Amino acid sequence: MSSRANDPSRVGIAGYGLWMPGYADVATWLSGTPDDEVVKPLGLALDSKNRRRASQLGRSLSDALTAAMTQADVDVSTTPTVVGSAIGEAVTLVGLLSQIWGAAEPASPAAFSVSVHNAAAGVISISNKNQGFSSALSADCDTPATSLLEAVGLVATTGAPVAVVCGDEPVPTDLVPADVGWQLQAGAMVLVPLDGEHSCLAQLKVTLGGAPDLSPAAFSDEAQARNPQAGMIDLITAVARGQRGVLRLDRGAGRGYCAEITPAPGS
Amino acid sequence: MAASRVRPLPVTGYTNLNALGSTRAEILDALAAGRSGLAPPSEEFGFTTMVGEVRTELPGLTGELAPWSTRIASMAGKLAADLEEPLRLARKRWRPERIGVFLGTSTGGAVSTERAYRHFVAEGALPADYNFQRQHTFSSLLHVVGELTGARGPAWMVSTACTSSGKPLATAQRLIAADIIDAAIVGGMDTLCALTVLGFSALQAIAAQPCRPFCKERSGISLGEGGALALVEREGEARVLIEGVGETSDAYHISAPHPQGRGALGAMEAAMAQAGCAADEVDHINAHGTGTQLNDGAEAQAIATLFGDRVPVVSTKGYTGHTLGAAAAIECLFAAYAIEEGWIPPSLNSEPFDSDMGIQLNTTLLKGDFKRVLSNSFAFGGNNVSVLLRAP
Repeated sequence: MSSRANDPSRVGIAGYGLWMPGYADVATWLSGTPDDEVVKPLGLALDSKNRRRASQLGRSLSDALTAAMTQADVDVSTTPTVVGSAIGEAVTLVGLLSQIWGAAEPASPAAFSVSVHNAAAGVISISNKNQGFSSALSADCDTPATSLLEAVGLVATTGAPVAVVCGDEPVPTDLVPADVGWQLQAGAMVLVPLDGEHSCLAQLKVTLGGAPDLSPAAFSDEAQARNPQAGMIDLITAVARGQRGVLRLDRGAGRGYCAEITPAPGS
Repeated sequence: MAASRVRPLPVTGYTNLNALGSTRAEILDALAAGRSGLAPPSEEFGFTTMVGEVRTELPGLTGELAPWSTRIASMAGKLAADLEEPLRLARKRWRPERIGVFLGTSTGGAVSTERAYRHFVAEGALPADYNFQRQHTFSSLLHVVGELTGARGPAWMVSTACTSSGKPLATAQRLIAADIIDAAIVGGMDTLCALTVLGFSALQAIAAQPCRPFCKERSGISLGEGGALALVEREGEARVLIEGVGETSDAYHISAPHPQGRGALGAMEAAMAQAGCAADEVDHINAHGTGTQLNDGAEAQAIATLFGDRVPVVSTKGYTGHTLGAAAAIECLFAAYAIEEGWIPPSLNSEPFDSDMGIQLNTTLLKGDFKRVLSNSFAFGGNNVSVLLRAP
C-alpha cells in the first residue's frame, strides 16, 4: 500500500458547484432555504447556439461546472473535463422515439445530434473552446464515484487540475413509474494534485468500499435523494462544511464506493 | 505529487465480434479475401442501405443473469466467454478487486427501449418484461461483464458516441499508473437499432450502397454492430502493447468534424507524444474512415499533415460497417492483427480514390513489418481518440 504522502490516488479539491431546483449555488443549498425563482438551469456559460442545443441536463451541468471552475480559478479552455450521468440524454432519446413512432414523423437531425450521452460534454467543450480531454461516463448510482476516479487517474498522470461534473435529468415517465423517479440535479468539483503548487480546500481519496462515518446531506424532497448523483451533492456538502471523515458516495444503492475527505489546513 | 509516467500497457488477450464473424480465423479470412460483411438490413427502413449485422449466434444469458439478457448483453456475454483463457491467468496474478472493467457504448440498451416504446405506442403500455434499469441503462453491461469475468474492481461505461470503446484503454493506463488497479477488461459493444439508422438518415449521412471510405464518389456511412474486449495488465505476456492514447476535442461543432481535422491531428500527436515516437516510426494507420465527405476529408488532411503519403492507410468500415460505440475497440484489434500477422487488408470500395486526399490509401492486401500502428476514432461532440499500438 502506498504511503499517504506519496499515494498517487489522493488528490485535492479546489472548487465545487451545484445546481438543483431551488438551489443555483452551494451557499443557497447550505442555507437550507430554497430560492423559489430557481426553476430551470440557465446555462449562461454556454454560447447562445449551444445553449439552444443543450438539454436541461446540459445547462445544469454547465452551471455547476462553471461555479466549480471559477472557485478553483482554472482555465476553462484547457482543463480536462469528466462528465458523469447515469441516464444522460434519455429525455431527448424518448422525444425522438415519440417523434418517430408516436407521431410517425421523420427523426429530427438536430435532436439526433444531441441525443448522444456526451452531448453535454460536447456543448461545454465547444463553448469553452477547450480542445483538450473530454469524456462522458455512466455507472448508475456509482457515477459520482467513478467520475471522480477517472479524474483522479488524469490528475495522477498529468499533474494538472481536472474538472468533474455529474448530473441527471428525471427519468422520462413513459419508461418508469413516477414514484421511482427523481428531480434534476448536478454537482461539480475541480480536483488538483497535492503538489504544494495548487491550493485546495480538502484532500480526497475515493475507494471501493470503506467504513463511512459521515452522514449524507439532508434533502427535503425524497425525489432529490433518489437522483443517482445525490452522492456528489453529499460530497460537496461535506467539503463545503469542512467535515472530515469517510462518506459513502452511492446512498446505499451502488457498490459501496466511499470518499475519504480531510479539510486542508487553513481552509 | 509528481505526475505518474504512463508506461506501455501489455494487451494479454482479446476477442472480437462483428459482421465478419466472432473467431480470429473467420475475421482474418474475410479481411484477407477482401470480403465484406455488409448486407441489406433484416429490418425495413423505407430506404435502401447496407448494414453490418452480427450473424454469430449469441446465447442468451442464463441463471441469475437471465433478466439482463438483451442483445447487447448477450454480445457482452459472448465476448467475455471468449476472453476466459487469459482472464483465468489474470485472476491468478491479480486480486479480483484490482481488476477493473471499463467499457464503451453509444446506444447501449437503446434498441430494447426502442422496442418497448413501439409496443407502448401500439398497445398503450410498456411490455411486461421491459425493465429500464436492466435493459436500458449502460450499467447493466457492467453488471453482466463483472459477473461473468469475476472482475470486482472499479467499473464504468464510457459513452462518447463513436470514440466510446477507445477511451477505456486510456482509462486503464491511468488507473494502473495511479496504482488503483493492476489489470482491466476494456473495450465495448453496440447493436444496430432503427433509431440510429433513421437518425443518420435524417443527417443525410447514410449511403445506399456499401460505404466507400476515401473514395472520390463516397456518399455516406454503412452502419454496423459488434464488440471487442481486451485484457490489459500491469505486467504480462503481451500480444501487443498500448503505447499511447491521444484524447482531444474539436471544440468546433456538435456533429461535424473540424474541416481541417484539428482535433484528429491533436489526438494522433498526443498518442505519439505519450509513446515518445516520431511520425516516421508509425507503419500503418487504421483510419476512422466512415465514408462521408466531411469526415474522410478532415481525417485525410490531419493524416497528410503528419505523415504525408508515406504511411499505408486502411479503413475497415467497408467490412464491418460503422459499429459506432464499438468501432474504436474493434478497429484497435484490426490494428493488432496487422502487427501480429504482418499484413493489412485492402480498403473496400475505395476506388476511384480521392487523390486530393494526399494520403497513401491501401487498396490491396499488403504484407509488411508493421511494428507501430495508429487506430483513429472520431465522434459526435467533437470527441477524438487515437490509439498507438506497438509490437512487444
